[in-house]
Amino acid sequence: MTNLEIYNKAFMETFEIEEDKLAGLNYQDIDAWDSVGHMALIAALEDAFDIMMDTDDIIDFSSYEKGKELLAKDDYGVEFQ
Amino acid sequence: MDFNVKQAKQWSRLGPRAVYGMAMLELMQKNERVYALSADLGVSSGLQRVMKAYPQRYLNTGIAEQNLIGVSAGLAKEGFVPFASSFAPFITLRCADQVRMNMGYMHLNMKTVALGSGVSMSSLGNSHYGNEDLAFMRSIPGMTILSPADCGQLTQAVYAATEWDGPVYIRLTGEPNMPIVYEESGVYEIGRANVLRKGKDVTLIATGSMVALALEAADTLKTKGIEAGVIDMHTLKPLDTGCLDDVCGLSKLLVTIEEHGKIGGLGSAVAEYVAQMDQRAPLLMFGIPDRYMKAGDYSYMLEQSGLTVEHIVSVVCDKLT
Repeated sequence: MTNLEIYNKAFMETFEIEEDKLAGLNYQDIDAWDSVGHMALIAALEDAFDIMMDTDDIIDFSSYEKGKELLAKDDYGVEFQ
Repeated sequence: MDFNVKQAKQWSRLGPRAVYGMAMLELMQKNERVYALSADLGVSSGLQRVMKAYPQRYLNTGIAEQNLIGVSAGLAKEGFVPFASSFAPFITLRCADQVRMNMGYMHLNMKTVALGSGVSMSSLGNSHYGNEDLAFMRSIPGMTILSPADCGQLTQAVYAATEWDGPVYIRLTGEPNMPIVYEESGVYEIGRANVLRKGKDVTLIATGSMVALALEAADTLKTKGIEAGVIDMHTLKPLDTGCLDDVCGLSKLLVTIEEHGKIGGLGSAVAEYVAQMDQRAPLLMFGIPDRYMKAGDYSYMLEQSGLTVEHIVSVVCDKLT
């Protein structure tokens, strides 16, 4: 799987949503992405990419797009093509 | 509630309060008699989703813990199974007489859940620490006290408490990224301790957040040639005295480790029992010292309390040599 597919899978499995709902999705846009859902997503991404996210980045992770931007940082080195 | 490795990892990340909320959500879906109650700490209790999904079975009494216990008692009298949660000192000492009368004397089938027990409330300070709750709750006849070692066991404790006929106090310790003791759901029986390791030199009897620390201490002791057993005493009342009978004869030293004051908790419970024995190993008790400490973050507070692997290993080694 590509990194993008892994990323999407984490969102889809955590929030039980279809792939077509991911683009433009923001924190609290859906019931499942509340504070508990947020940490569950973080845990899923950390597990999927074998990383440990910094607290500031967890807080900044406000949308599907922002998440990709954060994970692409040198700290985590996840490349999305 | 069964769980697997992946869930254990996710729950560890979430921490005890969020996992309590998740467990309650699933429980309330399966059992229509279960209620969740709070004294204006619903979100802090991890009950946000419960509040949304089951507004008719979530009750907020406001910051009125005595009323919280009273309302819970009324529900229990009507055959419901109420779970009332708040921070440890507020759900025990602030409403002590209501706990004593309703949970104790009336032996009602109600459950209370203490969040942030021990020193995990960190910078909120001594008003919010739960270092005396066990000393009080242990003194209530008929009380059952559960102290889960990690987030996975927490879910088992919630379910087991639902099935247990009588008052139950569940004490939650730790914070997000709580170390995992149980990677998968295993045996969980109220009143029956889990022997995680056996060791002929010393037995570390721990509860709650300190079980993971005890395992780490056992690993370090092994590198020093000391064989350490580890017991997860997840039920503090009734205490698994059968387990203590087994280990007392085997170990040269008994050690208790708890994120609670040294007075009245796990150490005291074990000491009260082994004191009756004709032959017993010496007992070392680790816990929060008998004084008010300056507040700081969680790891600072544990360090100030001597609840670190380094300190425990050092003291145990000194005692054994």
